[in-house]
Formats: sequence, C-alpha cells, structure tokens
Amino acid sequence: MSRINRDTVIAIVLLLFSGVFFWASFDIRQPDYGTLSPAAWPRVIIAVLAALSFVYLAQSIRRGPDEAPAGEPPVRGIGDWFRKWRNVLWCFVLFFFYLASLPVLGMLIGGIAFVFLLLNVLGGWSAEKLALHAAVAVISIGSMWSLFTFGLGVILPTGIIFNPFG
Amino acid sequence: MILENVMLAFGEILTLKTLLLMMTGVAAGLLAGAIPGFTIAMAVVLTLPFTFNMPPSQGLATMVSVLVGGLSGGLMAGILTGIPGTPSSVATTFDGFPMARKGRPGLALGLGVWSSFFGGIISAILLMTFAPQLARIGLEFNPWDYFMLVMFALTITASLAGANMIKGLIAGVLGLLVRTIGEDEAIGMARFNFGNDALLQGFNFIAVLIGLFAFSQLLSDVRDPKLARKSLMERTSMQVRIEHLHALREIAKRWTNVLRSAFIGTFTGILPGAGGSVANILAYDQAKKASKTPEEFGTGTPDGIIAPESSNNAVEGGALITMMALGIPGDVTTAVMLGALLIHDVVPSPSFISDEPVLAYSIFLAFFLATFMMLFLQSFMLRVFILVTRVRMYVLAGVILGFCGIGVFAINNVEFDLWTLLWFGILGFVMRHFGFPLAPMILGVVLGNIAELNLSRAMAITTDLSPFVTRPWSLFFLIIAVFSAFFPVFQEQRGKKAWTRYYPAALATCAAPPLFMMGGLVRPTIGTVLLFLAAYLVYQALQKRSAA
Repeated sequence: MSRINRDTVIAIVLLLFSGVFFWASFDIRQPDYGTLSPAAWPRVIIAVLAALSFVYLAQSIRRGPDEAPAGEPPVRGIGDWFRKWRNVLWCFVLFFFYLASLPVLGMLIGGIAFVFLLLNVLGGWSAEKLALHAAVAVISIGSMWSLFTFGLGVILPTGIIFNPFG
Repeated sequence: MILENVMLAFGEILTLKTLLLMMTGVAAGLLAGAIPGFTIAMAVVLTLPFTFNMPPSQGLATMVSVLVGGLSGGLMAGILTGIPGTPSSVATTFDGFPMARKGRPGLALGLGVWSSFFGGIISAILLMTFAPQLARIGLEFNPWDYFMLVMFALTITASLAGANMIKGLIAGVLGLLVRTIGEDEAIGMARFNFGNDALLQGFNFIAVLIGLFAFSQLLSDVRDPKLARKSLMERTSMQVRIEHLHALREIAKRWTNVLRSAFIGTFTGILPGAGGSVANILAYDQAKKASKTPEEFGTGTPDGIIAPESSNNAVEGGALITMMALGIPGDVTTAVMLGALLIHDVVPSPSFISDEPVLAYSIFLAFFLATFMMLFLQSFMLRVFILVTRVRMYVLAGVILGFCGIGVFAINNVEFDLWTLLWFGILGFVMRHFGFPLAPMILGVVLGNIAELNLSRAMAITTDLSPFVTRPWSLFFLIIAVFSAFFPVFQEQRGKKAWTRYYPAALATCAAPPLFMMGGLVRPTIGTVLLFLAAYLVYQALQKRSAA
C-alpha cells in the first residue's frame, strides 16, 4: 500500500462495481410497453458513476502515495490492523451473530445478549463491569422491547427459546 | 381558509398526548444535540420507528420537536466545554466558551438559548409565509423541471458536502443506484436482485438511512478503544444558572444581528445541502464584518454567540420550506422527515400543502410550539446533560446499537431490513473512513425514485430531450446545477486565477435568460436586475484588474 494510494484502490473498486452493475443491467427484462426501458435509468447512473470514478482515479494517481496520518502510529502487519479496528470488527461480528441467531433467540434474549457481550468486549470483563453491563443490557433492551411490544403493538421476533405469546 | 387550516391544525396538535410527545421529543433532541458524536440527524432517524403507529400529524410533530431540540442542544456542550455538540454549533464555541471561561457561563447560555428561540420563531414565521408561496411556483413544474430540480439538489449537496467534490458526486450517484435495486416503480420490472427474492422489494430506505447515518456514526464513536472507555466529557461538573433577563437585555440591544442571522439561516436552509454547519459560520462571519468592534470576536462577545445560534435554529425552517413546498429535502434531517411522510402514505410535492393543509399546518405549528418548549426545557435539560456526560461512550453506543435493531425491525416486521441495516452500516462506516460525505448519498437514496419517475413521465409525453433545455425552469435548474458543480473549484482558486473574478457575473448572466422565458412581469424584471448586476460585477472585476 506504500506505492499505491488508497484512493486509487477505491477508484478501481468503484470501476469494477460499475462494470458488475452494467453487466447485470442486461438481465433486466425489456417489456413491450412503456417508453423508458427499466434498464435505461440505471445505465445512465452507472455511466455517470464510471465517468466520475475515472476522474477520481486520475486525481488519485496524480496525488502520489499516501502519507501516514498525523498522530497515529503506522499499522505494521495484520495483527496491528486487527488491534486498530478491533472495536469496529466486534460490533460487526456481534451484530451479525445477533441477526443470525434471531430465529432461535428472538429479539428480547438476542438483543440482551448482543448488548451485554458488546459492552463487555468494548468496556472490559471485570466482575464489577459484568454486573453493570448485565443490568444496562437487561434494562435498556427490556424496556425498549416492552415499549414496542406492549406500547406500540409491534410483534417482534420471539424465537423458539422464549415466546411470551406461544 | 388559512385561519381554518390553522384552527384544524391546533385541534390536531393541542392534545395532551401530542404535547407530551413533543415535550419528550424536545428533551431528547436537546440531549442528543448536546452530546458530541451524536448528530441531530441521528436523533431524528432514531425517533422514526416510534412514530410508525402514530397518526401522521402526531408522528411528525414529535420528529419536528426532536429536530428543534437538537438544533438548540449543541450550544450547551459548545459553551460549557468548548466542544461543539453538533457541527451546527461550531461557531458558538468561538465566543461562547471564552465567555464561560471568563466566569459568565450563565449569560453565554442565556444568549444562546434566547438567540435560538428568536431564530426559530423568525424562521417559523418565514416557513408559514413562504412555503405556500413557493408551493404555488412548484405547481408550474413539469416532469422535466422536476427531474432537473433533483439533479440540482444532488449537485449542490455534493459540492457543499466536503472538500472533495468528486467524492460527493460519487456518493450521490451511489445513492441513486441503491434506489434502483428491486422492482422499478414505473412498470414493476425486477432490477439487480441477483436472484434474491428479498431484493425484489428493494432496500427499505429508512433501514438504509439508519444504517448509513446512525449505525456508522456509532461505529466511528467507539473506533478508538481508549476514547470509547472515556466519559463523554470530563469538564462538566460546574453549577450553572441561565441568566435569562440579562441575556434578553443584551439581545434587545443587538436585534439587527438576530434578524440578519435568522435570515441567513433560513436562506441557507432553503438551499438543498447547505445546512446548519454552513449557516452558523456564515452568520458569525457576517456579524463580525458588520460589527463596530470586530477585534472583540473570539474573546467572548455577545454578538459572537447570538449570530450562530440565531442562524442554526433558522436553518430547519428554511429546509422545511423546500421540503414541504417542492418535496425536495434540504438536508439529511428533512430527508428523514420526508421518509416519515412517505411511511404515512403522504407524498410531499408542490400540491402537498393544498392537498393536506391540516397536516402541513400541523407541521408549521409543531415547529412553532417546539421552539417555545425548547426555551422552557433548556434549563432542566442542562442538569440532565451534565449527568449524561458521565456515561461512557461505549455504553451509550452499545445500547443505541441494540435499539437500532428493534427500531428497524418495527418498520415492516421484516428481518431482511435488519440485514440492510448491517450492510449499510458497514458501507457508511467505510465511506466515512475514506472521506466520502454521506449527505449526498442519503439525498440520492431519497430522491432516486422521484428523479426516475419524472424522467419516465417526461419520456411518456415525448421522447424528445429538448424540453430539458427549452423549458424555462428546467433550463434554470440545469444552469445553476452546472455552476454549483464548479463552485468548489471556484472557492479553491478564488483570488488566485483570473477567471474566478468573472464567475459570479457569468452565473448572473446565465441565470437571466430562463427568467425572461418564464414571461409575466416579476420574473423578467428579476432577470433584468441580474443582467445589470452581472454588468456591475464585470466592471468591478475589470477595475480590480487594471488596478493590479
């Protein structure tokens, strides 16, 4: 990454993305009626996106290699990268598992588990914090779940472990 | 007729439940606006799921209240800690914080609160006066004009959103592309679903907005492990009493500043894309230029607090004028409001005020009432704000992420929306990290189908493309879209390159012909004034050139 700047990489990704969408636009069925084809507007957008990405690519190549951000230590290796982004990655991973487990855990248990685990990985695992995080997770998600379920009449996913309406 | 609508709107808003919801909304907005790292747009987005089951007027009144509260909340953090709660209150810290450090935090807060109040009230009056007038102009728009208006909104948002115009434009175009996924609105053909049935319905745009804006913001807030474990603010243990009377006396002496700043705010709000973050700096700058003692700015002068706070509260009145009169959101928060209207099956367009007068006047009234509520709740919320600042960022972010999940599911009771939230949260975070502004993308998502529908209607009338340049309004929007696209280059090279001297004159000259084409008396007169202005600007530029 020291030779190519990150804008160049993003511009290339955007060009590839435009290519994939342009290719996919040929799968859009053309009806016998209507004046404007359903593929016309998306193709105009993709053409503009590709043109802008080319300009962005040209700008990025002219700019030269990236400089290290001021005040931040340089990232050396994959371990450093994971350490730098660990909080964000935890949020993604836990939210992913929260969604994947919804059919089993439901929104109440799944939500409490998600918030509890997230608070612990972001804030620490000491005994005092475990109790605090558990209380925060139960009270916040419990009250929000109750408000939506009983106050606003929304039927949230119940799961198979705890089904108050089953 | 207007009085009848106002009375009916009073009936809708002046119920105990609505007033309580509005009070809660203002309080929540004040708090969200006060916490650095939490934006007003995020607060309004997160309020949306609560309003699904409410009647439209009640739901929108609640959201307007959050908006008004959020606009005023930023001043608490800015004045007491020097860290602006929102980008709209950056300029407030220039004089608010020095005044607080000199031992007058109560006066600084009083000036901020009352300036916000007057800015909001002036803007509410302008909203009630000008929105119906602008809507009448909007009724002249044909599909070609509407399509070009959307293009102009996207271009100006991209050009004002950040330092890099190309990134802004790419973000806007990506937003348009996201909106094409799923069945097209005109004839229902599947597009870009890649064999996935869930994608046939497209992405729910509220889930997209919450993901892009709220989810990605929370991820940015907890990105740094050390900062995530810190309290929101360290220096808020002081005891403060807001000096209302003293502040009112100071403001009465400087009423021209209040008026000027409120007008700057409202006008900035009317322009799509130029929100409170632009208005508060612009008003501060103008107040400094107009002051007899400009050297006092930055040291804790009352004018330096009055200007940004009057203008940033006036911005939303302006943004609501554009949204309610033309159906074009002025900024991210009004884009969310537009989403709220769509959820209640109300489509904002130039005929919105005449088709839904009670709802429209309920929004006007809610904006007005919420401004009064803000004034009374500010003192109380100051104490709550000091308590909340002791909470650690990761706790707040974790809880709100959990709430995002529940709120997004409640939109349609569809699990796919939760996945939308996650993917767009990741996309928003990556875009923020690489310096892509999110506002153009959000506007692209909101306006994408409006643009396509109008293009489709235009093509159904005639396949000839010439009306885009022969219809006066369409040509007008096309010209100002082109000029707004070059605005960042103009700003960057202003004073350095010779052509920048002629840019304003060229804009005035090019904007005049469509006004002549519109006919009547007023618009050609404005066109003539623009031509005279252009001639004067060229004369000035030539004078400067010969002097150099």
